[in-house]
Amino acid sequence: MSGRPIIDISGLSKLYARGLPALRELTLAVERGEFIFITGPSGAGKSTLLRLLLLQDRPSNGRIVVNGYDLSTLSKAQIQEYRRGIGFVFQDFRLIPAKTVLENVCFVAEVLGMTESQQKRRAFQVLKSVGLQHRMNAYPAELSGGEQQRVAIARALTSDPSLLLADEPTGNLDPDLALEIMNLFREINAGGTTVIVATHDRELIRLVGCRTLMLDQGTIVEVA
Amino acid sequence: MSGIRFALREGFASIWRRRTSSALAMTAIALAALVLSSLLLVTSNLERLLSGWSTAAEFSVYLVDTATSDQRGAVEAAVDGSGVAARREYVSKVDALARFKRDNAELEALAAALQSNPFPASVEVQVQSEKQGSAEVEVLVAVLAKLPGVADVRYDREWIRRVTGGLSMVRRLGLIIGLVMMAAAALTVAAVIRLAFDARREEIRLMYLVGAPYRFIRGPFIVEGLVLGGLGAGVAVLVLWLGFRAAFAWWTPTLSSLGALEVLRFLPVYTASLVVVGGAVVGAACGFAVSRRTS
Ligand SMILES: Nc1ncnc2c1ncn2[C@@H]1O[C@H](COP(=O)(O)OP(=O)(O)OP(=O)(O)O)[C@@H](O)[C@H]1O
Ligand SMILES: [Mg+2]
Repeated sequence: MSGRPIIDISGLSKLYARGLPALRELTLAVERGEFIFITGPSGAGKSTLLRLLLLQDRPSNGRIVVNGYDLSTLSKAQIQEYRRGIGFVFQDFRLIPAKTVLENVCFVAEVLGMTESQQKRRAFQVLKSVGLQHRMNAYPAELSGGEQQRVAIARALTSDPSLLLADEPTGNLDPDLALEIMNLFREINAGGTTVIVATHDRELIRLVGCRTLMLDQGTIVEVA
Repeated sequence: MSGIRFALREGFASIWRRRTSSALAMTAIALAALVLSSLLLVTSNLERLLSGWSTAAEFSVYLVDTATSDQRGAVEAAVDGSGVAARREYVSKVDALARFKRDNAELEALAAALQSNPFPASVEVQVQSEKQGSAEVEVLVAVLAKLPGVADVRYDREWIRRVTGGLSMVRRLGLIIGLVMMAAAALTVAAVIRLAFDARREEIRLMYLVGAPYRFIRGPFIVEGLVLGGLGAGVAVLVLWLGFRAAFAWWTPTLSSLGALEVLRFLPVYTASLVVVGGAVVGAACGFAVSRRTS
């Protein structure tokens, strides 16, 4: 698939108040439909890059264009609109403990403006796609780590994002479950969604075998 | 719109979940609104009463210095014959100077330095309460003004000025107290909404992350403030109305003897609604401010 890349980053730097730059003059293009791993040692800048992509933080320098949005020009309301096109998965799942699996997904569907029947339909659809339709009425605490992460992935898919970002999504899971989650990401990717996964699990990357960017001290040192 | 339904549902649920704190916040708003609205009620009624009196409660017929006692007699006869005066009193030039000295002790030196007495003699007339503001008084005033020996007829505003002055003091003081109470109430409402905000911190963070529109993120808190403030102010207006009815029933004879029965009125619907809307706006502003956070 050619044409305009879904992510176009140029000269991106991020300096925190103290210490070394977290990102240095990073330039990167990601094509629509790609599956990419970002790896590298702790402190290399993986999370920082994903945070900047989600506009949880602002770059010190450089330009990020995603889905045609130049991220430096967005108003607060536009930032929310932009984020609706992006799914996000964290290492610690971040489910709402007081809500059931179904409610966790429906909550997101609701605050994205779906009607009640749309919410139910969509929630069922995404939970089915992660294989959890039979656990809809369970609370997060009653689920295994792998199941919780699958709920989080289902939730991230609710808005049907064109881009899915995951920061150490398997960091809390044992290797079998980790591979299972990666296969789920592959399936999602096969459906056309661009997927970017940050992880330092080299073994996992080897098993999945995809385009991999190696970050070190804020710059790309290796592309495989 | 789905955002509005969501905000209403979540806002009311939050009020109910923390009903004790919500009741506290509402009470704070109600007390502040009660002070402000009773101030409005008292001053608007007093103003109406005064404006009735000030046109006709008392007036003075000033005589020229050369007025003869016959001319003064004619003035007094006209007053007595009109049937509107409750009382009249002749104030001679000497009396007027003495009164000035008494009322303006700080100007004693000036008074002492006067070569001659500049104060005119006058006949002070107090109008019967049921004739106040009537056309008969105006006719009398017009007749008196044309009599020989009369320099001028003036409504005596001295005591009205004093009452009005006192009233504006009361109003200023009440306004300050009311506003301070309203500020305290706003802080209470903000603190209660802050509890709701903290309790939902995770949900809010998630809403930001998934790109929920702002009406979903901030709407519930604005609704919560709006309802707390509006209900609080509504309760205040209701309590004030009940108090007004009770006072009215209790003091009917007194009020009637003051000629105040027909003049006294509760706040007009417009003003009462304004108080409620004001409370709602203060509350909503609290909700808006508390939920003001970007991430
Ligand atoms: N909020 C912050 N304030 C200051 N420095 C920060 C902040 N966040 C990250 N950093 C620094 O930026 C650098 C990159 O951090 P980042 O979290 O992106 O690394 P990472 O590659 O995700 O590491 P890990 O594999 O441990 O998650 C680190 O040196 C870190 O200390
Ligand atoms: Mg990280």
